[in-house]
Amino acid sequence: MQGTLTRENVFEVHLLKREEWLHLARKLDWEYSYVREDEVFPKIISGTPWLPHSDWQDWEEAFKTSYREYVENQHDKDMAVYAVRDAVGRLEDIQKLNTPWINGLKIHAAALPLAEFTGVVGNLRGARFGRDSAWRTMAVFGALDEFRHTQIPLLLLHELVRWDAQFDWTHKFYHTNNWFAIAARHFFDELTLGQNAIEFHIATNFILETAFTNLQFVGLASLAHEAGDHLFEKMVTSIQTDEARHAQIGHPVLAEVMKHDAEHAQYLVDKWFWRNWHIFSILTGVTMDYFTAPDQRPTSFKEFMEEWIVDQYLRTLDEFGLKKPWYWDLFLDELEIYHHMIYASAYTYRATLWFNFVMPSPTDRQWLRRKYPKYWDDMDAIWERVSDQWRAAGPGPNSEMSVHGQAMPTFCDLCQLPLSAGTPRNNTANTLAFEDRNYIFCSEPCRWIFMKEPERYASHKDLVKRVLTGEAPASLPDLLTAYFRLTPETWGKDVCGGKYDWLSKARSHGH
Amino acid sequence: MPLPLYGFREGDSIGLLIVADEQETVGSLAQKLQEAASIRVTPAERVELVYRNRLLDPSITLSQAGLAALDRFDVREERPRGISEGR
Repeated sequence: MQGTLTRENVFEVHLLKREEWLHLARKLDWEYSYVREDEVFPKIISGTPWLPHSDWQDWEEAFKTSYREYVENQHDKDMAVYAVRDAVGRLEDIQKLNTPWINGLKIHAAALPLAEFTGVVGNLRGARFGRDSAWRTMAVFGALDEFRHTQIPLLLLHELVRWDAQFDWTHKFYHTNNWFAIAARHFFDELTLGQNAIEFHIATNFILETAFTNLQFVGLASLAHEAGDHLFEKMVTSIQTDEARHAQIGHPVLAEVMKHDAEHAQYLVDKWFWRNWHIFSILTGVTMDYFTAPDQRPTSFKEFMEEWIVDQYLRTLDEFGLKKPWYWDLFLDELEIYHHMIYASAYTYRATLWFNFVMPSPTDRQWLRRKYPKYWDDMDAIWERVSDQWRAAGPGPNSEMSVHGQAMPTFCDLCQLPLSAGTPRNNTANTLAFEDRNYIFCSEPCRWIFMKEPERYASHKDLVKRVLTGEAPASLPDLLTAYFRLTPETWGKDVCGGKYDWLSKARSHGH
Repeated sequence: MPLPLYGFREGDSIGLLIVADEQETVGSLAQKLQEAASIRVTPAERVELVYRNRLLDPSITLSQAGLAALDRFDVREERPRGISEGR
């Protein structure tokens, strides 16, 4: 009977309805009586511009999730991932995939999980130092999301180490001084671990998760589907459902910063678009255009970027009253070639990485020429030269190091990635003497970012400087094993050991 | 004295670290980079070295040319005389 309290109806009678308590739970801010607001939320860790809470009190996001709903949803999503793993994610299913695709998986297996873990830390900073309680509540869910995004790929991909030792890098990657790990740490340390709450949420939610993760979660998921890798497809689409929610933190943060310091907002989005672009063009561009079989590539990386990133990003900037980045034409030009420059370079230094590489066949190269007509002739000359080296050395594991670079490659003092920007005819690397040190940058935007915040970047040593100061070994074998933590078993090789049908046919035809 | 330099071979996809000697000639440095990049770029019979937008005389030493540690230099196939554009 209504109003009579019994053991059975105690919750029914006394529990408030969702709409009666949710607003209070999410918007629970108060005035401080024994401490100043700027002591509770110091500028150095809450971010710039520092504004009183009265400016943030209307902060809002659309999801308004409760903790109970969050847990229920996440549980259902995890069960769905496990069901897919049990049905189509067994070792024998993975072994059926194309070899190049599996190597694309190894890149993501290494780069993704612990990067997501740094996202936990970044979100927890927002959960403490975000300027409104609704923001902080959402950031708690963001942190829990990122735990999930750490654990799922660790669980699903590291267990493949039983079959292929290179999957050990799922755990190992960020704990090494491998050159790509140095670059990835430089990026994620700044993006997430060492960042104030405002910059973290703009850089991570607005730039990375809104502008760029479509690359991963729409583009790569559809490629994974085409490649028959339903486990990876399910994993990334499941992750995307979380990203779509917590990415909403970034928009209202950016809107408030725009109101009070439009110049700073413009700097943050321009800086982080560029930094994200270089990392993602390698992770995703290489996987899309080289590690996916030609008949499984619905579009090129460039076409995907144009359809899903470029137009959408410009529209979003416009909505916020932000301008197109000053380097936009340069970015569009890099879209034509940057990841091709990186891939050709990395192929010839494949033993410095933890996954194997495939040579683009003549059919692949025709496809790439059609998709990237602007500079492909220059890239094609490089692949022709590498093909000749394999023909001269002959296929087989003993020839690997004959078709491999021996000189020390060089790296950008900002992004820490190889000096592979520009084109083969015009590498855009540029030097700078600053205070008592010499620096080199792969591109003008990397130099611009450095000059905006030299105190943040100047003391970091790229791999070349580490070698020159004796911190890292100068000889390639020692660098690979002692510093990069690779072994002859795990370092990268050609997936076919140079034994390609097309290579021998071309040779027999006198090429 | 060892002189670490950033070398860029025209036609290549990456810059390379070349450790030269101050008393080495410009021509020798150009050949060193050609060889280091030869995995990706077919060596040319005749090359020239560009440093700070100047074409350098291959017979002078790096010290005479003013190259300092961690400078950038470029090596390209020799152009017909009269064309000297560069970085």
